[in-house]
Amino acid sequence: MLLIGGVVAAVVAGRQGDDKGTATKTVRGVIGSEKSDFFADPDVVKALAAKGYTVKTEASGSWAMEDLDLKGYDFAFPSSSAPADTLAGKYHARQPLPRPFYSPLVVVAHRSAAEVLAANGLAVLDGGGKGILKMGAYLDAAEHDRTWQQLKGAKAHGELTGTLFITSTDPETSNSGALYLAAASYVANGGRVVASGADVARTTPLLRKLVSVQGAQQPSSDAVFRDFISGAGNPLVCLYESQVVSLLAEQHSADDLVVLYPDTTVNSDHTVVPLDDAGRALGELLSTDPALRKLAVRHGFRPQGDSAEFVQATADRAAHLNQTLTGVRQAPVPTSAVLHEMARRARG
Amino acid sequence: MTRHPLLALLAAAAVVLTGCTAKDHDDDSAAPRPGTLRVLASSELSDMTAVFDRVRKDTGVTVRPTYMGTLDAVDLLARGKADGRYDALWLSSDDYLRLRPEAAKKVVSETSIMTSPVAIGVRTATAKALGWKPDAVTWSRIEQAVVAGRLSYGMTDPARSNSGFATLISVASALSGAQSALTDADVAKATPQLKEFFKGQKLTSGSSGWLASAYQRRGDVDALLNYESVLKGIPGLTVIRPSDGVVTADYPFSSLAGTSAATREDVREVTEDLRGAAVQKLITDTTRRRPVVASVPPAAGLDTTRRRELPFPGSRSVADGLISAYENELRRPSRTVYVLDTSGSMDGDRLNRLKKALTDLTGDFRDREEVTLMPFGSAVKSVRTHVVEPADPKAGLAAIRKDTEALTADGNTAIYTSLEKAYDQLGSGEDTFTSIVLMTDGENTTGDKAGDFDGFYRELSTDRQRIPVFPILFGDSSRAELQHIATLTGGRLFDARQGSLDGAFEEIRGYQ
Repeated sequence: MLLIGGVVAAVVAGRQGDDKGTATKTVRGVIGSEKSDFFADPDVVKALAAKGYTVKTEASGSWAMEDLDLKGYDFAFPSSSAPADTLAGKYHARQPLPRPFYSPLVVVAHRSAAEVLAANGLAVLDGGGKGILKMGAYLDAAEHDRTWQQLKGAKAHGELTGTLFITSTDPETSNSGALYLAAASYVANGGRVVASGADVARTTPLLRKLVSVQGAQQPSSDAVFRDFISGAGNPLVCLYESQVVSLLAEQHSADDLVVLYPDTTVNSDHTVVPLDDAGRALGELLSTDPALRKLAVRHGFRPQGDSAEFVQATADRAAHLNQTLTGVRQAPVPTSAVLHEMARRARG
Repeated sequence: MTRHPLLALLAAAAVVLTGCTAKDHDDDSAAPRPGTLRVLASSELSDMTAVFDRVRKDTGVTVRPTYMGTLDAVDLLARGKADGRYDALWLSSDDYLRLRPEAAKKVVSETSIMTSPVAIGVRTATAKALGWKPDAVTWSRIEQAVVAGRLSYGMTDPARSNSGFATLISVASALSGAQSALTDADVAKATPQLKEFFKGQKLTSGSSGWLASAYQRRGDVDALLNYESVLKGIPGLTVIRPSDGVVTADYPFSSLAGTSAATREDVREVTEDLRGAAVQKLITDTTRRRPVVASVPPAAGLDTTRRRELPFPGSRSVADGLISAYENELRRPSRTVYVLDTSGSMDGDRLNRLKKALTDLTGDFRDREEVTLMPFGSAVKSVRTHVVEPADPKAGLAAIRKDTEALTADGNTAIYTSLEKAYDQLGSGEDTFTSIVLMTDGENTTGDKAGDFDGFYRELSTDRQRIPVFPILFGDSSRAELQHIATLTGGRLFDARQGSLDGAFEEIRGYQ
């Protein structure tokens, strides 16, 4: 709700300073914050200008966009298909919506934590820097309040004490936290997407556990990511793969980092909701332009349709990335309304 | 590498002295100005001056901080008192803020800039005597050293300062054996052990800066509990992050709702600069906080072995319950003599303001607290002592209000003679936080002179010399005179001329 004032103010200010005398067309959009770096990248700005576009963006939580008044914007660009579908309905945007790129939800772990999980059948490691997190086994541990101390091999690592849990963001405000609940609820619901009131009721006790054990939750995936980098916080953190890909490009030594791909995960589908023709044209351009697709990979996203681009561009980081998502199942995401209700109940 | 962190800290504390006492928001310096961000900031960020200078050079944006305890800042936001007065918020953590929806809705976006965990800084000789190896010290071992009478420490007031609150959560989590986020039951279970633990606290403070200087001055305190960054700046301390877990501050730079697009753009630029590699390196090198970008390693001397992160409570009832238990049950009670100028010049509005300030204060006195009212004019007029008894706190508070209401203004101003009486009134007070508050609206006009008081103070026993005087500058009182008293006794001067008398009394609470 808060964002409304800010967004409108930004648009008014932006209009006053319209780019006079340039040949490019200015397109305005509200985007999920994890794409701010992409649109701010000078090479992206250049590539868009080469195609005749100046893109002005304002960041908002993907789930908060439903409450915004998007009048005056050309597109919205949430980080999940569920809010995108809701927005498309509200603004009568034609389906199918352009989905230029996506990124699966992953769990980053310090090496010590990953090895203990593997030794206790909760994960399978593949070489040095990556592995599969067994969601069924993990949720079973969560349900029984299993502590690190009860896992063999944890004693050797002083920081591995207390209840075993994955840190996520606040699912009521942040997309990655909501998608974590989506993945967990799919598994807890016997491999079916949560759709009915009965499904919600059945899965609530477990989801509530996953959330309450964390205490205070951070509002954005960037915040939990930064804690992890600085060496603070929980040894298991739920993030977007795109964040990890960027980190690996930046970090000189990633020996201590293990990227666990949940065997059942969900994708963050970065979906453009065109609010007019200019917005749709931009969405198509982001999906098809080879230069822009390449730049999306630079920011860790997987371009839709062709996995070779991602595999090739991240070859130097293959030790940490499950490039072809082998052994990873994509669970569908519940509708916005269901996910909101799940998050509300989980927060208690 | 000739860095003098303590000096920097003390200098910063001195700035805080004159800069933050219940600041009057109507003065011109608080008005909005393009290219300047008015930032409501945690007080320990006063060590960031070099970083602010660098940011100004990089972005052209001036960061103008107003320092305040985290919980006070959250309260200000929740009551809407920060609206239009501040452009951004920079607290050590927004965790508590998120437990107060009225405050949380004032924040639009937040970006973590740096981190620092809670730690204990122990005199190196004490650590040796205890046989402590930094890697193997737990909160339980610290508690055992306290129980054995081998360790005393100072920390900031959890009800005002986030470093104190984070410490309290760390201790409560570790000593209760809680395996996940603290619950009311955990706190209840750990209460007996927590009581033992807090018997070791000999020093309390409303800010990290004053805590450090009081620690240096006293010499009888073995350790400090605070953020690692603060402790690393104090010479002679071995800094230990307890191995059973810590709470870490992550300093989110936050933009506020209701600010203009231009302001939000300034916030974005400053944030981006703070997150750049160059400034991250400057931050860790000059303030000993830990960077949040992977390309910048933590400054030399920051141990990178891992610690369990103790979860911050997820509900306000647990957080506030813990603070309330600390204030009313766990900590040493405070014992205070209020030396109150009720000379002739106080007549009318000034006396009314004093009465209102004292009456408001009765809402804040803690269980077990001993309060002595010592009004004076040409001499001390009366000495009335009240205790807030846990069995019937209202009775003590009502008595204080009644005595306050009965104050009348007449006579001259015998500051020093009255202060001497206050010291006579107080014993050494081993089991309390003992202090004197001096409120005067004029200069000393009768009785002992400054030199006499200096002589009197020098003759006091060491124990009594440790009782600080917190003078409040009000009306026509002399800054030089009161600053001298504060410096001599190890207190701190509070300025009620810049702000309100209520605000000054309220701020001193953190030091009692």
